[in-house]
Amino acid sequence: MERNKNILLFVLLGLLTVGLFTASVFTGSVHIPVSEIARIIGGGEPLRPEWKTIVLDLRVPRALTALLAGMGLAVSGLQMQTVFRNPLAGPFVLGITAGASLGVALVVLGYAWIFTASQSIPGNWLLIASAWLGSGAVLFIIMLVSVRVRDIMTILILGIMFGSAATALVSVLQYFSEEAMLRSYVIWTMGSLGNVSRSQMQIFLPAILTGVLISLISAKTLNALLLGENYARSLGVSITAARFTVFLSTSVLAGTVTAFCGPIGFIGIAVPHIARMITKNANHRMLLPSTILTGGIIMLASDIVSRLPGHESALPINSVTALIGIPVVIWIIIKNQKFSKMV
Amino acid sequence: MDNGETEKLSVSDLTVGYPRRGKEAGMIFPSINASAGKGELVALFGRNGIGKSTLLRSMANLQKPLEGKIMVSGKEIVKYSPNELARTISFVSTERINVNNLKVADMVAFGRFPYTGWTGRLSREDSETVDSALNMVGMSHMAGKNINHISDGERQRVMIARSLAQDTPFIILDEPTAFLDLPNKYEVVHLLGRMASEKNKTVIFSTHDLGIAIQAADKVWIMLEDRLTEGSPEDLVINRSFGSMFTDSRLTFNDETAEFRIKRKAERKIRVTGKGREHLWTGKALERIGFEVSSEKVVDTEVNVISGKGNKTKWELRNPSKIKEFDSVYSLCYFLKNNFSAI
Repeated sequence: MERNKNILLFVLLGLLTVGLFTASVFTGSVHIPVSEIARIIGGGEPLRPEWKTIVLDLRVPRALTALLAGMGLAVSGLQMQTVFRNPLAGPFVLGITAGASLGVALVVLGYAWIFTASQSIPGNWLLIASAWLGSGAVLFIIMLVSVRVRDIMTILILGIMFGSAATALVSVLQYFSEEAMLRSYVIWTMGSLGNVSRSQMQIFLPAILTGVLISLISAKTLNALLLGENYARSLGVSITAARFTVFLSTSVLAGTVTAFCGPIGFIGIAVPHIARMITKNANHRMLLPSTILTGGIIMLASDIVSRLPGHESALPINSVTALIGIPVVIWIIIKNQKFSKMV
Repeated sequence: MDNGETEKLSVSDLTVGYPRRGKEAGMIFPSINASAGKGELVALFGRNGIGKSTLLRSMANLQKPLEGKIMVSGKEIVKYSPNELARTISFVSTERINVNNLKVADMVAFGRFPYTGWTGRLSREDSETVDSALNMVGMSHMAGKNINHISDGERQRVMIARSLAQDTPFIILDEPTAFLDLPNKYEVVHLLGRMASEKNKTVIFSTHDLGIAIQAADKVWIMLEDRLTEGSPEDLVINRSFGSMFTDSRLTFNDETAEFRIKRKAERKIRVTGKGREHLWTGKALERIGFEVSSEKVVDTEVNVISGKGNKTKWELRNPSKIKEFDSVYSLCYFLKNNFSAI
């Protein structure tokens, strides 16, 4: 019976994902009839040629980006909550997002400083590369620390410190930068799901899938880590290897999403809790897939809300995830009243 | 080496503790020699802070000893691979695991970690082992419950079932009877005894419940300031090792009743006569309120316990000049405490 219930749950989550993905492709500021969209996706030619561009180059990549970003952030949040045994952990706790922000700030704000004459905003690829480098540098430091430091709480605090240091450096850079550059940095921090082009998708998609795959492979280890590191070790888990795998997956996911979409908050912390409420099961063999699907669903829904028909440009995705998500988290806290025991 | 030698856990010249700037500073305990044989229940006693947990953690290889060797089934513990060790020694710590929505059956199934493949999927054999572990601790009917919704006694039995599911010849438990009520303390110790005798496992546990543990243990380890003494409980009573556990405190060990009492300065002597339980417990009560009790006629004051039919026991307090009657030990003691100088 338990098994049937679980199958039903995953069927529902799967249907919801497909439904929202479709809805996402159908909504937008330009009205395109359903039959035309179906024809475009089927490979045919629509009545107006620009519709084909809108659907294939904008809407589908955008929906795919939302799906993948939601999955990636949610699953990295879950992994951090399990490893640190802390319900408030998320992808940001290791300082990965802050590292990415520092990378972007250095490029965006430093660019103007070096090439004073040029007013053009640096290319998209440069932003992505700098965010990746930034989060990769933080990951490298965290790995070095975690080989030497045994206590996981120390690592958590160090991660938060690195993040704060990176944020402080960004503020210094902002203070000394020109207005136009500052503006493009601030826009980046608001997050956007619409910047991943079809060619960039060739990097984004495999990177996210790799991160998600690593997390799925570590389901068994994550289960052991639920009991704390002593029990995990007594079950034969190598703590160093386990941390390495989880940190690698988290930074590939959080680093990539931040690089392509900006620092998107809330999803990483809240979605694992929503998945726990849905599944009522702490076993990662259940929790991981349901968190992944729920993350995609919530990000798709947030994206649809941000592009409510009629608006010319989408609302900043960061505000939407927060505005949708905070009530959900508050509701969970009040309903459960045992937030501290949720991980 | 004979068979008994290869299937035991022994420590020789072991120094456990936490090294801190120079060897002496962090040392907890000098050289320990002890062994536990196949099918034996071993109780470890010692005062708070003397290093029981550290010794147990070292024997489970969760902590490196500072010096000395730990031999497990004829092989040094450091020569085991993590997985091999996880199939040899299981550990139950004092840590309370607060994972919400974790089912009892899942918790026990985590014990199968060293045997399952990378997915963590349970084979039929694994499931059978989990079922029989739950059955042995009497928790089969609770398999589907959330571990946060069961009592402390049940939770401890679940943790023991988890170590049984790990199917190791050696099980080490750190204070499994702490925080339990009296019946649960007895139940847990009894269960550990069955695991040793029925499943032929070596079970080593630390405890402060001396009276309960020595009724079941095949062997006792007593950690003292300068050494570890081992032997059957009776051996240790005979050679007065229990008494030496608390030499610096006001406790004395009664060799006949195997119980500790607070040393009191007896200033006044009294004689007690009578029979049976009433006589015994009257004597205890008088000791408690500060009398030295004797059955010889050395003093003038005496208490006569007159056992009547049913519950009608009477206590007669007499000295050469007066006789006074009481109907309970309480009223006798109350009178003596307040009026002794008067009689």
